[in-house]
Amino acid sequence: MELSTEVQEGLQLCADNARISDNAFTVLVERVCDSILKKTTEYSVLDDKGLSDVDKAVLKQSYASVLALILEAAKHDVDASTISPLLEDNKFIPERIDSFNNIFQKRKTEIQVLLGSIGHTPLHIVDVDWRLDFYLKNNFIDKINEPVYMVTLKTEQSGSDKIKDIQFTCSMEQLQDLVGKLKDANKSLEKASQM
Amino acid sequence: MLLLLEDDHKRHLSFLIDVDVEVVQEFCRIAMEFIRKGVNPKVYQSAAQKLEVKPEVIQNGVEGLIYLLTESAKLMISEIDYQDSIMTLGFKEDLKQQLLQFYLENRKEVREILSRMSMDLPHYHNLEWRFDVQLASRSLRHQVTPLVTMKLHTEDSEKKEVHVLQTDPVNLLHLTQTLEGALAEMKSTHCRRIVRNINK
Repeated sequence: MELSTEVQEGLQLCADNARISDNAFTVLVERVCDSILKKTTEYSVLDDKGLSDVDKAVLKQSYASVLALILEAAKHDVDASTISPLLEDNKFIPERIDSFNNIFQKRKTEIQVLLGSIGHTPLHIVDVDWRLDFYLKNNFIDKINEPVYMVTLKTEQSGSDKIKDIQFTCSMEQLQDLVGKLKDANKSLEKASQM
Repeated sequence: MLLLLEDDHKRHLSFLIDVDVEVVQEFCRIAMEFIRKGVNPKVYQSAAQKLEVKPEVIQNGVEGLIYLLTESAKLMISEIDYQDSIMTLGFKEDLKQQLLQFYLENRKEVREILSRMSMDLPHYHNLEWRFDVQLASRSLRHQVTPLVTMKLHTEDSEKKEVHVLQTDPVNLLHLTQTLEGALAEMKSTHCRRIVRNINK
């Protein structure tokens, strides 16, 4: 896991007790995690009462650096043994390193779930609706007399809340074929999970 | 159910009363060719010259046969009903037999041709699937996420479409169970009763 020089300079600012007190540091790390997970609060970070004694320019730079650190650490799934040497190199005292690790380990899983859902994937099926009709006749032929199914697959696109429908019809044989193939897929999944 | 023939139609077909059995065979063959591939007016000309009648008479006769065949196939009338319907035309016995054979041999093919003309909705053609495990993405490394990727082929009167989709194992199970329930519905008493009563 590598961090750029700008991020490391920002971390060195965070390490300095004169600019950011211990309490302010804890509040800062928590606020960064909240904004990653899009939890809204009453005050913006700049107006937060816990951070009022920090100079605004320093606050902005430290905020950006802590954000970069947390995202990279979650992306690579690192634990305290990797983070601690990195923070030591940037002049963090051990108590502050522990404080960071505690907060980070608590929130890591949630952040990783969010990161995992970002990306381009094909439409993801979430639900299915069906309807059974009896096809009697059309304007060319009479006496067709066959059952016909209409299936709607409800799909989601990553990054959007909209549900897109994919509709198609099936005769009895076609639906049996489809269900047969789905059952094969299920069986192979079960076998794979038992390996 | 009887086929009701209009007077014009009967008049056109009356030409067939006076001609030989082979000529009627030929007309039946021409009628089927025209149903399969479309009308060819030159055939009328050559037939008219051979039989020494006007081309319009030949045309009416062949078109009468075509209409008789397509209407009978559309309504899927039984043998007996068909024979009763053509009784009003005043044909000889062997001519009637010939027309009956003509109907029985070709009605399945005519129904298939008619169904190709009728409306179609996108219907299921094939489903391909495969089982993947996602290991990493640009935003997150060290993943182990099971996924099923599928290719759904649908067809809409010759137009083929392919949808690439994915699910996770839970949704796959839900999908399978719901569609199995749909399939089982056809065997329920309610559906069986309706199908039986319509087909009566």
